[in-house]
Amino acid sequence: MDTEKTNGENKKTILIVEDDEFLRSLTAKRIEKEGYGVEVAVDGENAITVLETLKPDLILLDLLLPGKDGFEVLKKIRSNEAVKAVPVIIFSNLGQKEDIEKAKSLGVDDFLIKANFTLDDVVAKINKLIAQ
Amino acid sequence: MENTDQSSPPAKLIELGRLPVNPLIFWVVVTAALVVAIILILNATGVVVGVNWLLLVPVAAYLFIIGLFLAYLSKFYRERNRLMLERVRDEQIKLAEFKKLNQDLENYAKQLFDKDFELTLANKRLQNLERAKSKFVSVTTHQLRTPLAAIKWTFHMLLGGSLGKITAEQKNFLQKGYDSTQRIITIINDLLNVDYIEADKTDYNFLPVNLAELIDGIIFEFTNQVDSKKIKLSFHQPTSVLPKVAADPVKISMLLENLLDNAIKYTSAGGRVTISLSDARINSAQSSVEVIVADTGIGILPAERDKIFHRFFRGSNAIQLKPDGTGLGLFIAQDIVEKHGGQIWFESQLGEGTNFHFTLPVFGAPPAKV
Repeated sequence: MDTEKTNGENKKTILIVEDDEFLRSLTAKRIEKEGYGVEVAVDGENAITVLETLKPDLILLDLLLPGKDGFEVLKKIRSNEAVKAVPVIIFSNLGQKEDIEKAKSLGVDDFLIKANFTLDDVVAKINKLIAQ
Repeated sequence: MENTDQSSPPAKLIELGRLPVNPLIFWVVVTAALVVAIILILNATGVVVGVNWLLLVPVAAYLFIIGLFLAYLSKFYRERNRLMLERVRDEQIKLAEFKKLNQDLENYAKQLFDKDFELTLANKRLQNLERAKSKFVSVTTHQLRTPLAAIKWTFHMLLGGSLGKITAEQKNFLQKGYDSTQRIITIINDLLNVDYIEADKTDYNFLPVNLAELIDGIIFEFTNQVDSKKIKLSFHQPTSVLPKVAADPVKISMLLENLLDNAIKYTSAGGRVTISLSDARINSAQSSVEVIVADTGIGILPAERDKIFHRFFRGSNAIQLKPDGTGLGLFIAQDIVEKHGGQIWFESQLGEGTNFHFTLPVFGAPPAKV
């Protein structure tokens, strides 16, 4: 998308990894409205490629993705020197204890179940994590 | 199926013990014949010439006595034989009985084995079904959550006015749409929780929790809901600082949300929902903190009070007021409280309101004696 924005002075960039087109566009719209730069990836493979050149300020990561799933992307993020310190929020419809435990053990900053939150809640969480 | 003629005696063995005539008569005849035969032989051979017939009398008497003795022996043996045969027959009857019992036992064992096999098979089928059900529940619910999230977010964006101005009437309809979506999501989450409780997969992570802070946060989540329903929701802070409880904050939040959701749902406009906290010291060694969620709602029918924590049970007055609902909230609430080693109970006045109480043990306190 608009990569030039990421080089802007104060603009923080959020990477959204989401395979559902509608959810992705809604999320992107809401986060852009908050004044963030937004990058998107449509699946796990795509996310890994994007992260080779981009260092976002926060990653919003879905778990159920075609091909490489969110857990694999998370492993890659945490083993990549360039982006290993970037905060990651899991934003998924999986939310069983096992999934949360697994994500925690791989190192995530928050775990949100899509249906249980509104995009305003998500933005609030992003603001909080970015401010830290 | 069994041979039923076991009572009739074994005929052949009985015959062997019996002589055709009375042995006494038999022996008189035999002795006489022997004496005559000896005389004739002695005469014919010429060994003895001119027999002294008187001498034959003791010989005949001797033979006769021997005969009597043999007859007595024969009778004695016959009697013994008869007794033995009776015993043999008894043994045979017993043996037949044993055989029958053994056969029965074998049949039972076989039946038992068949039943065991059947049950094992049925159990396996049930286990598979259970696994399939669990998988179905979690897959479906996760799949349902994605479109529901899309609907919920859309309603929320429209309601927030970020997609253009909306009229009051439009807003009212959109709010109904949003609330309905929210209800479905709650039902799905409840179903997932029950599936988890039944599969015993819920893990608890007990931490020292400040209940007052936790309640503050939860009350905040309900602000919109109570405002739109015109209900006064308040939290009576305790006068002194209470000790922290040993609790899983995620589970306790769910518990409080369930109780508050019920309280608000079944209380009409102008009503009150109040949460209060107190130190419930049971004895000097162990203490716990008690939470009360009180409402001025419809109350619980006396006849239904013992069923209120049952899975899928809903009070008939509750169904009348709100037809949709899973009847799982209190079932889940009870499970959560019990897993914490606490207690949950209520008192209710029909048409006046209900107070739900639960206790949680203080962090570091020894476990409660049951």
